[in-house]
Amino acid sequence: MASISIEGIKKEFSGNRVLEDLSLHIPDGAFYTLLGPSGCGKTTLLRCIAGFHEIDAGRLLFDEDDMTRVPTHRRDIGMVFQDYALFPDKTVFDNVAYGLRARGVSKPEIGQRVGQALESVGLSTLAERYPAQMSGGQRQRVALARALVIRPRVLLMDEPLSNLDAKMRTQMREVILDLVQEAHITTVFVTHDQEEALAMSDKIALMDRGRIAQIGTPEDLYGMPVNAYVADFIGSANTLPVSIESADPALSGKARYFLGGRLLEGVRGDARLDGKNGILVARPEELALTPADSDAPNAVPGAIVRRQYLGFKTSYRVRLHDGSEIRVDLSADRRSVDFHPGDPVQVLFPAQSRIIAA
Amino acid sequence: MDFVKAKWWPWGVLTVISLLILAFFVLYPLGVLFNNSVRDETGALSLAGFAQLLDNSMFLQAFRNTLVLGVSVTTLSVLIGAPLAYLVARYEFPMKNLVAVLPVVTIVIPEVIVGQSWLLILGNNGLLTNLMERIGIELPSFYGWNGLIFSMTLVYYTYIYLGVLAALRGFDGQLEEAGLSLGSSPLATKLRVLAPLMLPAVAVNALVVFSLVVGNFVLATLLGSRVPLLSVMTYNEFINEMGGSPLLQSAMSVVSITIVGIVLFLQKRVVERKLYTMTPGRAPQAARVRSGAAMLFTGVVGGIIFLSLLPLVVVFIAAFTETSGPVMRWGVWSLTNLMRIFRSAPEPVFNSLIFASLATLTGVVFAVLASYLIVKKRNGLTHLLDYIVIMPLTISGTVMGIALVQTFNTGWLVLAGTSSIMVLCYTVRRLPFAVRNASSTLFNIPDSIEEASISLGVSPLMSFFKVVLPVMKASIVSAAILMWVTTIAELAATIVVYTGGLETMPIAIFRQIDGGRLGLASAYGAAMITVILAPIIAAIKLFRINLFSNQ
Repeated sequence: MASISIEGIKKEFSGNRVLEDLSLHIPDGAFYTLLGPSGCGKTTLLRCIAGFHEIDAGRLLFDEDDMTRVPTHRRDIGMVFQDYALFPDKTVFDNVAYGLRARGVSKPEIGQRVGQALESVGLSTLAERYPAQMSGGQRQRVALARALVIRPRVLLMDEPLSNLDAKMRTQMREVILDLVQEAHITTVFVTHDQEEALAMSDKIALMDRGRIAQIGTPEDLYGMPVNAYVADFIGSANTLPVSIESADPALSGKARYFLGGRLLEGVRGDARLDGKNGILVARPEELALTPADSDAPNAVPGAIVRRQYLGFKTSYRVRLHDGSEIRVDLSADRRSVDFHPGDPVQVLFPAQSRIIAA
Repeated sequence: MDFVKAKWWPWGVLTVISLLILAFFVLYPLGVLFNNSVRDETGALSLAGFAQLLDNSMFLQAFRNTLVLGVSVTTLSVLIGAPLAYLVARYEFPMKNLVAVLPVVTIVIPEVIVGQSWLLILGNNGLLTNLMERIGIELPSFYGWNGLIFSMTLVYYTYIYLGVLAALRGFDGQLEEAGLSLGSSPLATKLRVLAPLMLPAVAVNALVVFSLVVGNFVLATLLGSRVPLLSVMTYNEFINEMGGSPLLQSAMSVVSITIVGIVLFLQKRVVERKLYTMTPGRAPQAARVRSGAAMLFTGVVGGIIFLSLLPLVVVFIAAFTETSGPVMRWGVWSLTNLMRIFRSAPEPVFNSLIFASLATLTGVVFAVLASYLIVKKRNGLTHLLDYIVIMPLTISGTVMGIALVQTFNTGWLVLAGTSSIMVLCYTVRRLPFAVRNASSTLFNIPDSIEEASISLGVSPLMSFFKVVLPVMKASIVSAAILMWVTTIAELAATIVVYTGGLETMPIAIFRQIDGGRLGLASAYGAAMITVILAPIIAAIKLFRINLFSNQ
């Protein structure tokens, strides 16, 4: 177990800057997710922590130990790979025992620890199988057991669930969380799947083109995105340019803005907000629709363009009078009235809608 | 651990060592050869050698003949190989599975055996020649163009066949269906959709065949007595100039390297640019054909396979046939020839076994290391390594042998006349094949298993031994077998570098044919094929290795 400190790491590949002066602190025992689209640098950062890439500048610490120049095989890490990376010529037992043998652990202890590790992932009966004889989910469990049995200081996971089908993926989330909680081990988890990140993490670092876009708890990132990129990446959000009439200087203070010719009320969601222009962040499920003739506060008139029935909810695309389009999701129980393409409606914006800097 | 050390150890250091070895044994001899081609007797720079060649009508004729032979054999090979591949890929007919032996045939039956067995059948005293004579039909002489074109086509059509077959199997059948759905007729679809996409595969392999024909020495010298050819002339010049200045042999070598160089340049620049990337799709199902067509297809394919396999049978029969001088007494069985080679002259057998074993060992070790560096540790230096390793592919055996002899017959490292030059020659010649073989496996081994090993606390070098090598085991065995088999049969370079006491089986066969003792030649031939087949059968039966999956 160890905390991980990343101090001003830079990394470029043949002139291509992949990580730009990036700093992070990952507390001891945390489940920490590096999230972002492909090409954002999350895997590069993970591989820098593992030591597969040497960093161009900056420092990497496990607790107080400077790891910057320590080669991978002396870093005492456990790593789980996207393709599992099981040794195809070795049995499950030998795969899991590999790291223990490298550490010169005695034979009886290897037998006992491998046995325990396989039991914890529910594969005790398959110890003599070869990787090719197992399903994806089973291979993933072997990979986990192999990484954890050496009791590493940190556990690094590179998109470990992306090769599994949807059902197995949600099942494996639980397996992973159970195991790392039991081992109380600092875990760095790389994924591009925001739902996975929200469901599993203590903390998320959302990355964007080699930089950190926002660090926070899953609730922070979903509820208080600092910019349009974050709002758009975590969940789905309507981001509409608005002109600001007035805004309180304090965060979460009132902000009044013009949208579709109406003056609406929201909150300041960004300390950097200044001047006249901002962006309204509104999640589709926070919005509501009423018939056009109703007289509702904080509402903007528009017309339904498309209706998609999805069972538990119905998703509408609404065109406001200024031509901008917005998505509104009404859940089955909230839907008192149904609307159809062409219907004039009013879109209700909650007073907690956040305005961030453009 | 020091960071600089971590960066260079172990792979950087090994890359540099491999490069130095290759530079010394491949680049340097070629440099010597080129240098010798532009020096006169006094050692001054001069183009006298090339001027002499241009004045030599015999050389000009050989040059022309070589190109004509290349074009003829290539054309015929395409005409046989491409339709054969189409039949096999697209139709279902009785005994079609026999074609599975074709890739094996090219490797198992050495050229010298092909030449020899067709001489036994169609030569001046050949079985068929004599039979025909008895019923009053005079067959045209097999020596010269007839024999050259016939035997070379039989050796080289498999290259076209295998290349086109692979392309046809990779062809997305939906493209043809798309053509049909857009309203073009089946024939027009084949011409407009299938043909343009197959053309690059045909062209690439045709150029390979062309360059092999240009470099071919074995069949050229066995059958081409009345047709001067570049490779034979180069060898003769090498013998003539023995002890003198190696001017003309070098100049001729440079000419043939240049021809092959131009061909490979064409292949890279013109053809590869036309290679389309196709999304892999379902290859169309092979269609069953009506009984009439089925019989025709079976007949054609069976005939081609029969002609390809015939040398194997003929050599074994001839080995057990009574001979009196040059005359084979077909039908009269005898062990005399086999007894003679094992009693009085078994050295060629032992020499072949020893040289091939040593060459295979060094070649495979080096090939595994080199291909690992090339595939897994990509950088500028390993890229260079890749180029140099492949280089011997462009140089015919005879030329390679001449370069090695010229380089290592004087100076501080004298190898000429020793068995090391044989081993060196074989290793260098076969390295490109072994490296390709090993590389194709390495490409399929994900980097992550090595990284997994390192992350579990095993150093990079040990990870290579504990994780990469075991996974490569099957491909190492198959690379070793292919290297062994082709080395046993090597003649073109051997004939240049060997000296008294170092004769190998192919040399013995060649000399016996030259002396008109076809029975003895066949006895050596049978021994050689046995030595070639044994490890192949062992690999398939014991290790269950599919030797020819990458071919």
